[in-house]
Amino acid sequence: MKPLALWSHELRRAGPAALLAAPILATLTSLFAVFSTELGTRDGVTEWFLLGAVEMGIPLVAGMAAASLLGQDRALELQLTFPRRYRGTVLRRLTVAFGAVAGSSLICSAVLLAAGWRNLSPDYPASLTGQLTWLAPTLWLAALGLFAAAVLRSTAGATTVVAFVWGLQQLTTAILQENHVTRLLYLFDTTRGTVPEDWLWNRFTLLATALPLLAVAWYLLGDTEWVKGGGSE
Amino acid sequence: MRIELTDLTKTYKGNVHALRGLNLDIPTGMYGLLGSNGAGKTTLMRILVGLIKPTSGTVRIGGHDIASGEGKLAVQRTLGYLPQNLGVYPDLTARRFLDYIALLKGLDSRTERRRRINELLEVVALTEEADRKLKGFSGGMVQRVGIAQALLTDPRLLVVDEPTTGLDPEERIRFRNLLSQLAGDRTVLLSTHIVDDVAQTCRSLAVLAKGRLVFHGDVGALVSRAAHQVWTVTTSGPAPTWGRVVSALPEGTGVRYRVIAASPPDPTARPTDPGLEDGYLALMESDRLTHPV
Amino acid sequence: MIATMRYEFHMQLRSRAMWVVYALVFTVYVAVDRSFFTLYLGRGVEGEPKTAMLALGTMVGALMPVAYGCMVADRLVRDTRLGVAGVLDTTPTGQGSRLIGKYLGVCAATAAPIALVFFGRAIVFAVAEGEPTALGWASTTFLLTITPGLIFIGALTLTGPLLISPMIFRVLFVVYWFWGNLIYPAMMPTISGSIFDATGGYMEFGLLSPERDPNVIPYGPYPGAALNFLRPVASPTVAFLWLGTMLALAVAVLALARLHLARKAT
Repeated sequence: MKPLALWSHELRRAGPAALLAAPILATLTSLFAVFSTELGTRDGVTEWFLLGAVEMGIPLVAGMAAASLLGQDRALELQLTFPRRYRGTVLRRLTVAFGAVAGSSLICSAVLLAAGWRNLSPDYPASLTGQLTWLAPTLWLAALGLFAAAVLRSTAGATTVVAFVWGLQQLTTAILQENHVTRLLYLFDTTRGTVPEDWLWNRFTLLATALPLLAVAWYLLGDTEWVKGGGSE
Repeated sequence: MRIELTDLTKTYKGNVHALRGLNLDIPTGMYGLLGSNGAGKTTLMRILVGLIKPTSGTVRIGGHDIASGEGKLAVQRTLGYLPQNLGVYPDLTARRFLDYIALLKGLDSRTERRRRINELLEVVALTEEADRKLKGFSGGMVQRVGIAQALLTDPRLLVVDEPTTGLDPEERIRFRNLLSQLAGDRTVLLSTHIVDDVAQTCRSLAVLAKGRLVFHGDVGALVSRAAHQVWTVTTSGPAPTWGRVVSALPEGTGVRYRVIAASPPDPTARPTDPGLEDGYLALMESDRLTHPV
Repeated sequence: MIATMRYEFHMQLRSRAMWVVYALVFTVYVAVDRSFFTLYLGRGVEGEPKTAMLALGTMVGALMPVAYGCMVADRLVRDTRLGVAGVLDTTPTGQGSRLIGKYLGVCAATAAPIALVFFGRAIVFAVAEGEPTALGWASTTFLLTITPGLIFIGALTLTGPLLISPMIFRVLFVVYWFWGNLIYPAMMPTISGSIFDATGGYMEFGLLSPERDPNVIPYGPYPGAALNFLRPVASPTVAFLWLGTMLALAVAVLALARLHLARKAT
């Protein structure tokens, strides 16, 4: 266990963008949900918005934050000469960013549950298992972001990969839902899925496929020369 | 802490030979590494601190072979490194930056960390500025923060790469005095292309040219490379064409030239005592003749 | 300005990461959406090069701009990050000229892979069908439906990170692209399908392919959608209005960025 002081430094190094993006998104969406009736929005739309923030918006933030982690360290060369591996630092910063994302997602989920909106989609679990709604796509996109950053050693490249995969899944929902295999890899199965029976399998498949992405990133980040060889962009 | 390099080679992509079969033994104390830009100094430094791997050959530091994971770790535990372009976090104060680096280096005890940081801030004369953000620091001050971070774990080996580049004369003198004081029973490897820095701080040095070791030994031996080859010529006419002009100083109506040449470059030329810069240039000149591009 | 443009163009074109990423995203795209490989690109109107090229334009113009925008997004702020902004400020080239030069160079280079994919597929169509006119329609489609959008989002993504962190900006840009260009307009208040939509629908249905099935509602207002006043019925005039809007937005964004940079310098 590393000293608390190190984590407080990592909080700062992760940067305000990675820390605040998800809470701001969650707060704005929750406020919209709370005042939606006054705004004349239909219940279904409000639920969709909030659920969309949890399953689509916040995971996108997590993916982009993970993809941007490697390119912003000014003291990289120095850190690569320390006995403590640099990937430990990356993991701590990722954990910090993920913490902000997870907290925001939990708040949104709580609002959804408290308002009874999850009853509008009764085919999907709500409470504890329902947390896979955000956990699976968030982890998957974060793993993809870190993987792309480690392989490409380019923040612009890595964020593009995350943005594109997110966008592609949005745009080709119908195509991806046609096939059993691509359905299991679909990120937005709670909000846009068509086969509720596949939901749990889909979530576990996402979690399982995130692992090899993380493993490759972990391996590459352990190679000092590889990490050093990459420019920020 | 002794450093032994055996047949050390580094070839980058595109068949770029940065180091070609280096054999060198570096003893404890202050040691200079001279060479022009692109000579391979930074590559050598990066291999020593574990940033890059050699293509072939071995490096033993304090008896540890850095090719093995354990050896590299053992060396990194006792290493202080100041890279050529030290990146700092501009939003942190000098104290906070050192605190973060100390934690990353494994100084987990808060009391110990605080004590060490205060001590080092004193050593590098930054106590007054310790709580100012780094974005307001001058180049020399950042370099001093750099040396402080390198000393956090009281390393036996200190590797400093081009530390005085871009510093004003006062900062430069202050910085190299600091390095000399730190040498003691440590090995301080100073890589630079500024001959004067080595002349003022090191007893022994090595010279690299195009990835090859062209000299190693004490400073006096390098100076003697220019013995009987340094001349001064004062003339109001054109500059001497024979030999290599090292300096040209206006004097009265003419110019006094300092020239390195095997024989008098002009009938009025007078021999003079060589310095380290003369020795270095004479060495480079003879290397150019024996190893043309 | 010309020197900056040429430099930025070559720098971006030489970026290995850009080509790798484009290759990667394009491979994934066509692997998922197979209609790219069908002869008539999913529209099924045989022997009609214009329809096929417009379909190709819609396909390429829907998602590739996301990659384009994310790639462009940090090219301006990296000058500050790499510490070269101060050096560049001392050069005789004015800040405005440098901004325009960088904009033109970076955007042209980043759009090059999109053009390569688009025209590559158009050539395949022209050769396979023996229809050289397809190349003419391809050039017209690329120039009139895809390029104006790229001109605008190039300006937006190049300068946006001057105000907020590139990471946040990229998130917002992706969200904007879907909300403002791809979402079904009746779903929520959006500028999608409006005169501010950067995907070129007005050019396609107003100028290039106005002959639509009379049973289908004309391109423009969506039944039940908010902000329909921003969605006039497509016509050649509206198509040119859209083109003007894209160019005006690009100029406005660049002018604001120029002002911002000038204020920061003082």
